[in-house]
Amino acid sequence: MRSGGDNRGRLLLISLIVTSLFLITLDLRGVAVIGSLRSGSQSALSPVQSAAATIFRPVGNFFTDVTRLGRTRGEIERLKEANESLRNSLINRKNADAELKELKSVLDLAGSAKYKVVSAKVISLGSASSFTQTISIDAGTNMGVRKNMTVISGLGLVGVVKISYPNHALVQLTTDPAFRVGARVAGTQQVGILSGQGTSKGVLQLLDNQATLKVRDVILARGSQNNRPFVPGVPIGEVTSVDNAAGAVTQTADVKLYANFSALSVVAVVVGAPEVDPRDALVPRAPAPKPVPTVTIYATPSESPKP
Amino acid sequence: MFARKFLISFPIFATMFVVQEAIVNQFRILGGGLSLFLIFTLLWAALSSPELGAVTGFGAGLLMDLSQTTSSPMGQWTLIMILAGFSIAYLGYGDNNFRGNPISLVIIVAIAVPLTRLVYLVIGLMLGGELGSGLQVGISLLSSALWAVAIVPLLMPIVTRVHGALFQEASRG
Repeated sequence: MRSGGDNRGRLLLISLIVTSLFLITLDLRGVAVIGSLRSGSQSALSPVQSAAATIFRPVGNFFTDVTRLGRTRGEIERLKEANESLRNSLINRKNADAELKELKSVLDLAGSAKYKVVSAKVISLGSASSFTQTISIDAGTNMGVRKNMTVISGLGLVGVVKISYPNHALVQLTTDPAFRVGARVAGTQQVGILSGQGTSKGVLQLLDNQATLKVRDVILARGSQNNRPFVPGVPIGEVTSVDNAAGAVTQTADVKLYANFSALSVVAVVVGAPEVDPRDALVPRAPAPKPVPTVTIYATPSESPKP
Repeated sequence: MFARKFLISFPIFATMFVVQEAIVNQFRILGGGLSLFLIFTLLWAALSSPELGAVTGFGAGLLMDLSQTTSSPMGQWTLIMILAGFSIAYLGYGDNNFRGNPISLVIIVAIAVPLTRLVYLVIGLMLGGELGSGLQVGISLLSSALWAVAIVPLLMPIVTRVHGALFQEASRG
């Protein structure tokens, strides 16, 4: 290159850069060919991803468990005892039962609000290099899944359908830094905007500067016009800390998201919203306090010894 | 000649891309920054001439842009990978002491991987993308460097042999 090939090398580099800039321009201008290229590549990859998910998901779950070991040691110990008695009967159906359980919880949630849903299996997690938080699901336009539909799990809001292909769809997760959802506080009905942060927590910013938030306030989706992209009433998370900075125009708070994004296997896409807003019907119930048995002991002094 | 070399290596890159999309993406890996395809591409480019590095980056970037999980405009990864492929190839070009030393290759790829992702992030921000949690981004970039340090020594024997066999053969022919 350096001995006589310099010009050719430069020309090649410039041509490649111009080509890439041309592609960026075409995409930003919304040229359909670019979209169909991605759609075509995804259609080709989708069967391979489905097969790989079946084979490698148990391995992935194993690694997820390992990385969470320190945080969940106590929980694991408790679950170990419960699992011991069920191990023999569950050993061959563990995976299927876990998915069934997740499906049941998501259908319970959808049923409570009278959402019409399409359940789907997660076939791939998002890209590791692009700083985006997405999943691919095995339901697409053939099953009525369209762009900008709400995606939920049994615990609450998972995200929104970003792109829908015939047999699968790409879902932007609530944790994605670009994710925004109109939210309201259960009970007080204060409204705000919740944004993803790339972690299991989101940040809620209230719109009203007179409104105040409390720790443990439950945050629900406010709903969008024509119920897309968000249907109303879906639980999003719970306030864990409130920022009371003196100079802030409105209050902000950290919200722990309900959905467990590291263990998503079955989700549901809301394809039909209820006619009536479910309001606070989907707020998770607080755990009922267990009665603690009390024992009263009456002490009777023994007879004092006689001298 | 470049087109021919590019076509020779394309099936290998396509296979690595499928492995990344279908298998590696199934795992929520510690730190979240493992991109086997990016590491492989930069290592491949580091062993190539600058022009071939740029063409390799172009092909790999196109594949990364075709990924359904890429939210950036088509061409953004292509642009960055052309520059990354060219730069990493240019750094050690003509210096056999540098290229023959595995430690130099590990270090250069481990620096190039997070740097490439950082440039992607910055250009994404310029095109209207979102940053999210700065801490999370930092962890992700750091972990991608650490994963590169761990993966490059494993990939290097295979990549150097395949790269050598393909391009020595191609240059003879």
